[in-house]
Amino acid sequence: MHDTALKFATQEIVLEDVFPYPPETVWHALTSGALMARWLMPPAGFEPVVGNRFTFSTTPAGEWDGTIRCEVVEVVPHKRFAWRWCGGHEGNSGYGSLLDTLVTFTLTAVDGGTRLRLVHSGFVTPRNDFAYQNMSNGWVKVVGALGFLAGEEG
Amino acid sequence: MRALADPTRRSIFERITDAGEISVADLTRESSVTQSAISQHLKTLRQAGLVAERPEGRKVFYRASPDGLEPLVDWMTHYGVFWRERFLNLHALLKDIDDA
Repeated sequence: MHDTALKFATQEIVLEDVFPYPPETVWHALTSGALMARWLMPPAGFEPVVGNRFTFSTTPAGEWDGTIRCEVVEVVPHKRFAWRWCGGHEGNSGYGSLLDTLVTFTLTAVDGGTRLRLVHSGFVTPRNDFAYQNMSNGWVKVVGALGFLAGEEG
Repeated sequence: MRALADPTRRSIFERITDAGEISVADLTRESSVTQSAISQHLKTLRQAGLVAERPEGRKVFYRASPDGLEPLVDWMTHYGVFWRERFLNLHALLKDIDDA
């Protein structure tokens, strides 16, 4: 299956919030394995270095053992941190289906602290602009859910 | 989305979504593929939850169905909730560190 043969569209989750601490402090919480374990999940084999591969253990589904495979793709101290987030199995649908996504944190110093923006991108669906219009009920549901998820705070 | 990996099947799916709703006869008329081949492709699309059928008299109409896109919705719903919770954890952690 070639990317060029299929027309893809991707959807993303966006969350944004202001944390009342300087970027250095927030950055440390994001990129220390010990601290990551306290707010996200305990990573295995994690180092904040581009190319580093690490895993998280999550809830299994079907033939998928629940392992999230990650690879650090970008480290710009105090500014930007991104890693691939992959898992799932082709035999599953819904939760546990194949997943090849990207998690990106962007930090911006603002009055009173740090604006942290999370973009979890790469949720794939076949692209067809007419399909979006014609799958009215389903897509209203999807878009409604996304609007809720993307609701910005702070 | 294996059901859409086949180019013929994908083009049938796109024609269904373009048309809104279309009969097998109309799909066949505008295609170089035989009606039995089209029926096979429709069966695959239906099993994947990408199209739904509606019989009317002797005709069967097909329309696109969003059910096949639920994997997207399920993962996104899951991680949407997940990340919101984790942001709250991060707030609590930073406060803990600050208080320490």
